[in-house]
Amino acid sequence: MARRLTTCTFCGVGCGLYLETTANRIVGVCPSLSHPANQGRICVRGWHVHEVASSPDRLKAPLLKKGGRFEEVSWDEALGFVAARLEAIRARHGADALAFLNSPRCSNEEAYLLQKLARAVAGTNNVDHGSGVYSNNSINVLLDMIGVPATTNSLGELQRSEVILVDGVDLGTQLPTIGGRVIRAKLAGARLIIVDARRHRVAEHADLFLQLRPGTRVLLYGAMAKVIVDRGLVNLGFVRAWCNNYQAFLDQVMGFDLLRAADICGVSAELIEQAAVAYAQARSAAILYSTGIEARGASSVRAMINLALLTGQIGKEGAGIYALTEHNNLQGVCDMGMMPDRLPGYKPVADPAARAAVGGVWKAQLPSSPGATARQIWEDRHGGRIRGVWLCRYDPVTTASFCDVPAALQQMDLVVVQHLFLTATAQYAHVVLPVVAFGEEEVTFTSTERRIQIASQVIEPPPGPLPAWRQLVRTAQVLGADWDYTSTAAVMDEIGQVVSFYSGASYDNLARDYGRQWPCTKDKPLGTRFLFQEGIPGRPFKFMPVPWPAISRYAPEDFPMAMIFGHALYYWHQNVLVQHSETLKRELRVVLLDYPEGFVEINDADARALGIRDGDRIRLRGQGGQALTTARVTGEVRSGTIFVPFFVREVEKQLLGAAAPEQGNLGKPVFVQLEKA
Amino acid sequence: MNAQFQDNIYLPRLAVLDRVTDDIPEVKTFYWHFEDEAEQKRFGRFRPGQFAQVSVFGVGEFPASLPPSPTEAATFFTIRRVGSCTAALHQLRPGDRFGVRGPYGNGFPMEAYHGKNLVFVAGGIGLIPLRSCIVYALAHRQQYGRLQIFYGAKTPGELMYLPDLRRWEQTAGVECFLTVDRATDGWTGHVGVVGSLFKKPGVHVPVDNTVAFVCGPPVMFRFVIRDLLAMGFAEEAIVSTLERYMKCGVGKCGHCCIGVAYVCVDGPVFTYRQIKQLGEDI
Amino acid sequence: MRARIVARPNVLKIVDLLRQQGHEVVAPFCDRGRDTYFDVVTNENRDRVQIHLANPFYPPKRFVFPQIERLLTVQRHDGHLAIQPITRAPKRALFGIRSCDVAGIWHLDRFYLGGKYRDEYYANRRRNLFLVNVVCTDPDRDIGEECFCVCADTGPAAREHFDLQLTDLGDEFMAVAGSAAGEALFSDPIFAPATAAHVEQRRALLEAVRKRFKTTTSWFSATVRYVSQGQILEATWEQVGRRCLECGGCTFICPACTCFTVSDRPAGPGQIERVRIWDSCALAGFTRMAGGFNPRRAVHDRRNRRFFRKLAHYFIQRELSMACVGCGRCVAVCHGDIGMPSVVEMIRRATAPHPASAPAQP
Repeated sequence: MARRLTTCTFCGVGCGLYLETTANRIVGVCPSLSHPANQGRICVRGWHVHEVASSPDRLKAPLLKKGGRFEEVSWDEALGFVAARLEAIRARHGADALAFLNSPRCSNEEAYLLQKLARAVAGTNNVDHGSGVYSNNSINVLLDMIGVPATTNSLGELQRSEVILVDGVDLGTQLPTIGGRVIRAKLAGARLIIVDARRHRVAEHADLFLQLRPGTRVLLYGAMAKVIVDRGLVNLGFVRAWCNNYQAFLDQVMGFDLLRAADICGVSAELIEQAAVAYAQARSAAILYSTGIEARGASSVRAMINLALLTGQIGKEGAGIYALTEHNNLQGVCDMGMMPDRLPGYKPVADPAARAAVGGVWKAQLPSSPGATARQIWEDRHGGRIRGVWLCRYDPVTTASFCDVPAALQQMDLVVVQHLFLTATAQYAHVVLPVVAFGEEEVTFTSTERRIQIASQVIEPPPGPLPAWRQLVRTAQVLGADWDYTSTAAVMDEIGQVVSFYSGASYDNLARDYGRQWPCTKDKPLGTRFLFQEGIPGRPFKFMPVPWPAISRYAPEDFPMAMIFGHALYYWHQNVLVQHSETLKRELRVVLLDYPEGFVEINDADARALGIRDGDRIRLRGQGGQALTTARVTGEVRSGTIFVPFFVREVEKQLLGAAAPEQGNLGKPVFVQLEKA
Repeated sequence: MNAQFQDNIYLPRLAVLDRVTDDIPEVKTFYWHFEDEAEQKRFGRFRPGQFAQVSVFGVGEFPASLPPSPTEAATFFTIRRVGSCTAALHQLRPGDRFGVRGPYGNGFPMEAYHGKNLVFVAGGIGLIPLRSCIVYALAHRQQYGRLQIFYGAKTPGELMYLPDLRRWEQTAGVECFLTVDRATDGWTGHVGVVGSLFKKPGVHVPVDNTVAFVCGPPVMFRFVIRDLLAMGFAEEAIVSTLERYMKCGVGKCGHCCIGVAYVCVDGPVFTYRQIKQLGEDI
Repeated sequence: MRARIVARPNVLKIVDLLRQQGHEVVAPFCDRGRDTYFDVVTNENRDRVQIHLANPFYPPKRFVFPQIERLLTVQRHDGHLAIQPITRAPKRALFGIRSCDVAGIWHLDRFYLGGKYRDEYYANRRRNLFLVNVVCTDPDRDIGEECFCVCADTGPAAREHFDLQLTDLGDEFMAVAGSAAGEALFSDPIFAPATAAHVEQRRALLEAVRKRFKTTTSWFSATVRYVSQGQILEATWEQVGRRCLECGGCTFICPACTCFTVSDRPAGPGQIERVRIWDSCALAGFTRMAGGFNPRRAVHDRRNRRFFRKLAHYFIQRELSMACVGCGRCVAVCHGDIGMPSVVEMIRRATAPHPASAPAQP
């Protein structure tokens, strides 16, 4: 009987929990009461992490496709094949014919070594993570405006925020521990503002619920900025001391009309005003939004950060911007440079000094032109250029819903898949390399509050699979690189040399407390609770002007319903881990069982008006086509809105045809007519 | 036989599938017997209204009503394919082995009903548990007064146990009335919901000293109860069998608990009066 | 009498005694901060066993009702199937179980061993478990913010259902035997006779400790009435439901919760294992039937269910035990602050008749 503290493998909260083991089996899980992120609470996924971890369904040995069928082979044979193919493709088509993609659930060590393999050994910047299309917008905007691509404050501070504004994320289902904090903060007296088309569980507690029409956030936040300016609530001291570009921003804001904005957003002017005043006047106000999974345009992120700068709600306790990452290591994977245009630590690949610095540690010359994104690769193999792809824990056939991934994979000369199970993507692989499971290796994840934490090894893996990071090291060695990492701790030591804000994050230091929040440097080994807590250096903040969008009326007359395609809600239902727990399957996939032909969600009042009952067949008629599907009637969806879960692909295709990838995200609804079929 | 097996309430006993018949779409009847003769004999003393836990090893376990009467020689289940376990059962072939635990539940107190008229009202696959009571009553015909059967299905093709139904229609001393919601070619019988049979000319439902057995889908149940109460039946004189998701069948796992009752142990047979007093809506 | 005195330096010798008798002894240890846990006592960690510490979060029910438990295996061989139950249960002593948790184990005894059927897996583990209850006497270390055992009348000192009970009197401990097995230990020389003065000292100590509980209270009486008589409005359950994030934590962490699900999974070539896993009525799928019908689809119906099962008079009478022991774990584990004390309070406020609407005095 033994137990060890570890970090949960599911979402970006990074809850601390204990895994109980007996005779090399994980037999139980219990939350940590002292862990600063969750303090004794976890969600239904965490409560079943012990069931997931013990699934017998996993891959035991490397698989090599021979004559169209998979055959179990030795590691030497598998990695030898991979190395030979990689070299052949590079020799014939150039380094940029190769791409290295991973999942935001990969560990820091795996991610770091994967992009190092790509850049230092293969010679390409074609690296990206699976949710890149969604979250890179946020990173670029944050870097631009506040200089740090991450949540500025800590989760624990939410209990001390006077005002909390939550934009477009259903915390109760996506990040429940944070949802709980927000609910408890509200119960303790905080004012809760929810900006969301959906009335979710946490929204039930809102003091101010701005249930806006999809696609109108820029208008709403611009209007709020206007109110703040008009009412003289701008924190001029803050703006003058630390912000740039205020005038350009102000010029645009003055073009916003509160009443017109209210009309188009579908939210009363009064409510917008109250929200603006509450946010501006609060001693400490926090904005929470989600960066990954859900696609969102850069303008709406800019508009939110503008508000924080306008009112000085950055750099103090209980305030800040929470750029929430929904996967356990989306933050870490980005910190490690799994982006085509940024190195580990976010310096641009186009910057020669940055390349020289990293290349100095790696003893390699780094490629200078930014690489292809995951989206570009799946759309058309980046114009047909990509011929070989390495996928670490990434299952794009299932999750990259916007493209025909199988078609892209089938045209490649090399598809390497590292995973625990034989996923849908693995079916198209030339080589499948089995990794070890959660709890079978010691690695680190970086949570949404910048907390770099160790996920402990609690049991020995079965014979056969190897840790993903070791597979990368061996591959590099076969390719001739003199990589020599004896442990993940050694990998982290090197990460500390390359990523300045990880420089103090040795495993020893991380093990001393509950991880460390970066920046964690040699000078600041205890890490940083909230950014700018020691003061704001120079003038690092920048307003971004966001003009009034070109939108005269919300919806065309004959297509009055706004249809949005949601990627976050129901995301975890497709997750391969969830499919290996009886209970999680029952809980998260039950909606798929109740509606076996798929479904779209419509508002209950709208349904009543059209004589549609839950489970009825309905027709959606748009300008580009029409689709037949099943109605799921719920009070959560805003009247006049239709929510399409991302896995209901036929609806997307039938309505949008070729335009599918562009439209249909939260920023740009597609307008349709709804009727009973 | 291993003494442990007597004590361990979660251990299934091995059963062998003898033959399978197709009934209505998605419904099959599975004839089986226990590998162990003594077990077969013990099990054979089950009461009408009881159920058993059926294991398809590797897939799972689910509760199955017992449609045979203890007065019959054969043991069988009638199972609709509706989830992964029942789908797995539907794949089995004669000679295959599976597991059975039981019989469980309280069953209908057929002895307590001696001397009374019995009125059976069933809809769709609700006839499955009531078949046991009907056959039992027929085997003890002298113990009971009038016997009436009211049964309906959506279409003629969905009437369960058609050979039994035809036989009951012909049996003297049994009044058997059938209906369908929707007629198809060849159906010359009554058309309408089960409750409409009560008002059919020539039908007189006894109320005094009568027990009404009701089993069917929730909507049918609601309307039939309403009709029976309007006729003057007391709440204790109406009896039904409730269905709930079950895992253990022995009152421990908690899934089937409604209000104060564990359906697998305190039920599945309840009077309407008891249903109203459960403390939770069914 | 069944009371003895043990000198303070000798208290951990009880652990040694039990180990010598062949028990695997689990005892409480401190981890970081508030995290404490039960672990197997070895020669290496024996001196780190703690008497006074925060009650370990992972409830001791896991020693009689594990979070995942293998029930049986089925082996296919030559067309035959062999079913094999897995009934191994170690002989174990739980040193340092709190009075609230003793009541929890008793509640589980009544539930699993009583009724129409007896759960042999539970019985086997329970039969092999020796309970040494340590009474909570240190207000700073033993009693947490969330503790309310005095409201559930399960503490600070259990009156029965333990094998041995230890109360810290200062320089010495009073040991009380609660069973023949407990009394059998008294033959060891570390146990000296207790006097009436010791008994009085213990009584005074407990009286003083009862006044040192923190602010959490749970005034059950009226709530049990309202729940049992079905007087609680749906709106109250909706209010509770709005704060629920459907994690299941309240049931998993509760020493008196008993639900589980059963699942078959592959266990090797030609072999499957059937396991049972803690389940929760808080989860939407708990009552979902194949085919889709779900009688408790709405979250407020499931909140209603939990507190009905916990507080309805019918169950308290049937089990002679209330399914809440006042340990406070549900307070700590809940995201929305709807543990037992909060909900009892919400029910009381929402359901109690307003004085102005009371009938006029005759």
